[in-house]
Amino acid sequence: MRPEDRHYLKSHEWCKIADGVATLGITDFAVSHLSDLVFLDLPAVGSTVTHGEPFGEIESVKAVSDLYSAVSGEVLEANDGLPENLELLNTDPFEAAWMIKVKLTDQSSDLLDAAAYEEHCKSEDQ
Amino acid sequence: MPLRVVRSGALPPALNMGLDEALLVTPGPSTLRLYSWDPPGVSLGYFQASGPAAAVTERHDLVRRLTGGGAIHHDREITFALTADLDLVPHGVEDLYVLIHDAVASALRRCGVAARRVPGGPPTKPRPDEWWCFAQAGAFDLVTPEGRKIVGSAQRRTRRPHRRVLHHGSVVLSVPSGTPGCGAVDQQADLAQVTPTLWRALPDEIANALGLPGVTATLTQTETALGEELARTRYDDDAFTLRR
Repeated sequence: MRPEDRHYLKSHEWCKIADGVATLGITDFAVSHLSDLVFLDLPAVGSTVTHGEPFGEIESVKAVSDLYSAVSGEVLEANDGLPENLELLNTDPFEAAWMIKVKLTDQSSDLLDAAAYEEHCKSEDQ
Repeated sequence: MPLRVVRSGALPPALNMGLDEALLVTPGPSTLRLYSWDPPGVSLGYFQASGPAAAVTERHDLVRRLTGGGAIHHDREITFALTADLDLVPHGVEDLYVLIHDAVASALRRCGVAARRVPGGPPTKPRPDEWWCFAQAGAFDLVTPEGRKIVGSAQRRTRRPHRRVLHHGSVVLSVPSGTPGCGAVDQQADLAQVTPTLWRALPDEIANALGLPGVTATLTQTETALGEELARTRYDDDAFTLRR
């Protein structure tokens, strides 16, 4: 079971909200399906993200994929060391490999809890 | 549902990229667009630095692709772009490379050109050494019996507004100056004889591999108009091409 202290999107991003700040990242399922990661682009601090819209992009095996935001708000912090240390996404996707922190103004209505996300992953693997 | 096969002929680089993005973002049937480049172009991988392109001395237009991977000098080649709902193709990034490249190898074989797929495996380096896509063969690429890369691919995957994939592939007909060490069809066959066959064999084999009947078609007015708009506003714009 994946961490239960956060929510998930069907597009395989996670979102942990505390004290009005949302921390975003991608799940182990996403990492395993993307395989060898080579590039990551994250938004600048001070920019805004919108739920349901891309907040970043990632490249693996010459395939570029969008990363989708579960929340709307201003980017307070980005994990600047992550693009040069993408191995962290393999070893610790839910903690050390967080991507951005957002001052929350709104959030997606399509958030899944850990159990529902687990079921979603099973259905995608079929 | 059939695979729509669109043979666009030779188009300017920015328009080629605009049309491929239009096909990615527009809901519709799976489409295989085949085309070439006039004038020749250099396309950058989505994340690549643009600086080294200045070393190409021949006339060319520089564009940035939506897909990943390394830079390609598109001169005498057949390029293909498969756009499809992700539900209709193998889900995994690597699975789709294998399916498409095995189909392309079959098409080349019909033209008397031998090519084999490089096996997959764990990466030896976090990022490729070479700026040029065709300077070095990697996992899943097609190489000649001498080990020279002759076919390479890259993808873009999106989930919204639709779960779709754009798979770009290049089949090198003659070695371009940017990557003098790569493989090419004309090293094994007479281009005048085999090129018409290859334009037919590529969609035949890819459609067969996907399990979809191939149907020759043209782009809709909506797709063409969006492609032209994207060519103007994104792919002809230095703000996008030179962003890195």
